[in-house]
Amino acid sequence: MKDVLHLARTQLVTALRERITLFWFLIFPLFLLALLAIIFANVGKTQDLTFEIAVVNLDRGAIGGTNFGSLVAETFRELSAPASPGAAPLFRLHEPAAGDVQAYLADEIRLLKIGKRVAVVVIPAEFSETLFAAAYAPAGVAAASAEVAVHTSGGRTSSDMALGIIEQVIARVDREILTKLGLFDTAHAVTVDQLEVGSANKTLAYVDFLVPGVVVMGFFVAGLFSVPGTILFGRERRILRAYWVTPLNVPRFLAGFSLGHVALCALQFVCVWFLGRFVFGAHVNLFQPLAIVYLVLAMVTFLAVGFLVAALARTPNAGMAIANIINMPLMFLGGLFFPTGSMPPVLRAIMLVDPVTYIADGLRASVGVSPATYGHAVSLGVPCAWIVGCAAVAALRLKWDVGR
Amino acid sequence: MDPTALMKVSNLVKYYGDVHAVDGVSFSVPTSEVFTLLGPNGAGKTTTLEILEGIREADSGEIEIFGQRLRRIDRATKQRIGVLLQEGNFEPYLRVREVLTLFGSFFRSSRSPADMLHEIALEEKANAFVKTLSGGQKQRLAIGVALINDPELVFLDEPTTGLDPQARHNIWSIVSRLTASGKTIILTTHYMDEAETLSQRVCIMDHGKVIAQGSPRELTAQLGQDTIVEFVAPEDANLPDSLSACCEIVRGEGGLVSVKTNDLVAALGRLVDWSRSSGVPLAEMTVRQPNLEDVFLSLTGRRLRT
Repeated sequence: MKDVLHLARTQLVTALRERITLFWFLIFPLFLLALLAIIFANVGKTQDLTFEIAVVNLDRGAIGGTNFGSLVAETFRELSAPASPGAAPLFRLHEPAAGDVQAYLADEIRLLKIGKRVAVVVIPAEFSETLFAAAYAPAGVAAASAEVAVHTSGGRTSSDMALGIIEQVIARVDREILTKLGLFDTAHAVTVDQLEVGSANKTLAYVDFLVPGVVVMGFFVAGLFSVPGTILFGRERRILRAYWVTPLNVPRFLAGFSLGHVALCALQFVCVWFLGRFVFGAHVNLFQPLAIVYLVLAMVTFLAVGFLVAALARTPNAGMAIANIINMPLMFLGGLFFPTGSMPPVLRAIMLVDPVTYIADGLRASVGVSPATYGHAVSLGVPCAWIVGCAAVAALRLKWDVGR
Repeated sequence: MDPTALMKVSNLVKYYGDVHAVDGVSFSVPTSEVFTLLGPNGAGKTTTLEILEGIREADSGEIEIFGQRLRRIDRATKQRIGVLLQEGNFEPYLRVREVLTLFGSFFRSSRSPADMLHEIALEEKANAFVKTLSGGQKQRLAIGVALINDPELVFLDEPTTGLDPQARHNIWSIVSRLTASGKTIILTTHYMDEAETLSQRVCIMDHGKVIAQGSPRELTAQLGQDTIVEFVAPEDANLPDSLSACCEIVRGEGGLVSVKTNDLVAALGRLVDWSRSSGVPLAEMTVRQPNLEDVFLSLTGRRLRT
């Protein structure tokens, strides 16, 4: 076991001592996280005058032929029209067309989580019935008020501002409804139930979407470049040959090498998480069991991809060329930094075979940053298939010593 | 074959495509001996050594080491051998002490890095990165790695190639200390003086075959009690018949003429007469006793280093 631990330590310290490796392993992911977080934190400011909101009316009831949910929705529609020609409207309204309203609602919540909406207003199915019961409850009987659910992204200024305005709008609607019902002295019948996306304590923003992406990117770059680099340079410079004349064998070398690689990725992960958490205020919790499964899967998958590159290349330069060719499409089409829902068909085809797509999707879903697009069975299965495929090719083709 | 030999090799064969890199090589190495494989580049020395180190597998032949007959060197055998590779290398960003610690961890038991640093005289460089070492220091470190498990048998593949004279003598000192401590060493070199200085026995190889074996004294004695006169002359120059009658003449590459004689005065007189009459100068003429270079020259007609 001591040989495995010493090899792991060697892998770790040599990577940290070499400036180029250090840059790509630690500095670059931190720099990228900082850059994207700063850029996208500022983008929203000029757009806050018009709030992107969704209104989903689930109200099925009607009192005296009036669906009060529609009344609420209509009020938001009026406010989404410009006050004067050329002026910016208060709201840019998104409403469901015909179809699956629940699916539409889930998608709008996802868009809220990644900052594409500032609030999602949901009028519940029993809204009219509850309102009727509240308005005409017998004296002395406490009745539940009719609540409009407003989902917001807590911690974001634009979302907080939108909530304040929506509460005023609801208060206006409340007065209209009371007037319509002829109940001038009744306390508020319609109230706002504010719901922050995720759990009550979570305040997710773009940086929460970004942190898992940068973590996966770091693992990807480490696996794709560091693994073939170490093996191919080690083979060419006969560093590996010095190992093979000792009792050390390939499986034990692989164990030590992989352990060192995992330690390096863990260090990288902690640095990215620390920066995201304490500098950019990310609240995403990556220390959940399922998230850890995805993180380990990411390390192993990209380690296997690295071995695949080492197996395909005859020289270090060829290895770096292959890694660069693979790097661009897999990383940028994997949805690490931006949602990839609206890609053209050709790029979408690449995306669908890209292990990064599934790891990023599964990891984000596991921490509640966005809903799972593929489901955990697929998101875990596709990278596992990559691991098996890469390992098989590496076992058949990878040479551990210079040939003759 | 010596029945007490630490290592015996019989009819070792290795092909690379159509090339016979090792072609029926046999030898045995007794305990506590420095045994040298001597030959020019491409003679098959390194391939032979790589088979014995476990890097390559022979196409045929037998290897017996530590009393065990093996097809390929196994892990248990590797616990008992030390190897200095030709053009071997270490992680450039590891420190010298870390390299010794790392390689020590590969063996069941190993010497302390501090002891080894003292033995290879690299104590002052213990915390230096490998990439900052000179060629001689790197080679001393490589010897330290080869000895970290206190091996019974040490393979040194061209240990001084590319080193300056001072560094070469440092390596020779280490090898001499190893010999004094009773280690068995198998060495390859294409330096005749290195083989003569360090070895108890020499195996001369050419084109994958063993062409002579024995102690340096035995091998040079094959040339008799002769003296060698060497000079450079044009390749088309006709040497006098009177010289051929009393001496053995070998013409090498680059116009080198080697005249082996047991009557130096007569040979020199005939050469001077011939030079005067023909106008051919006796360029770069030297007179010396025979050495392993002459043995190789007499066997192949070529110099070791061409």
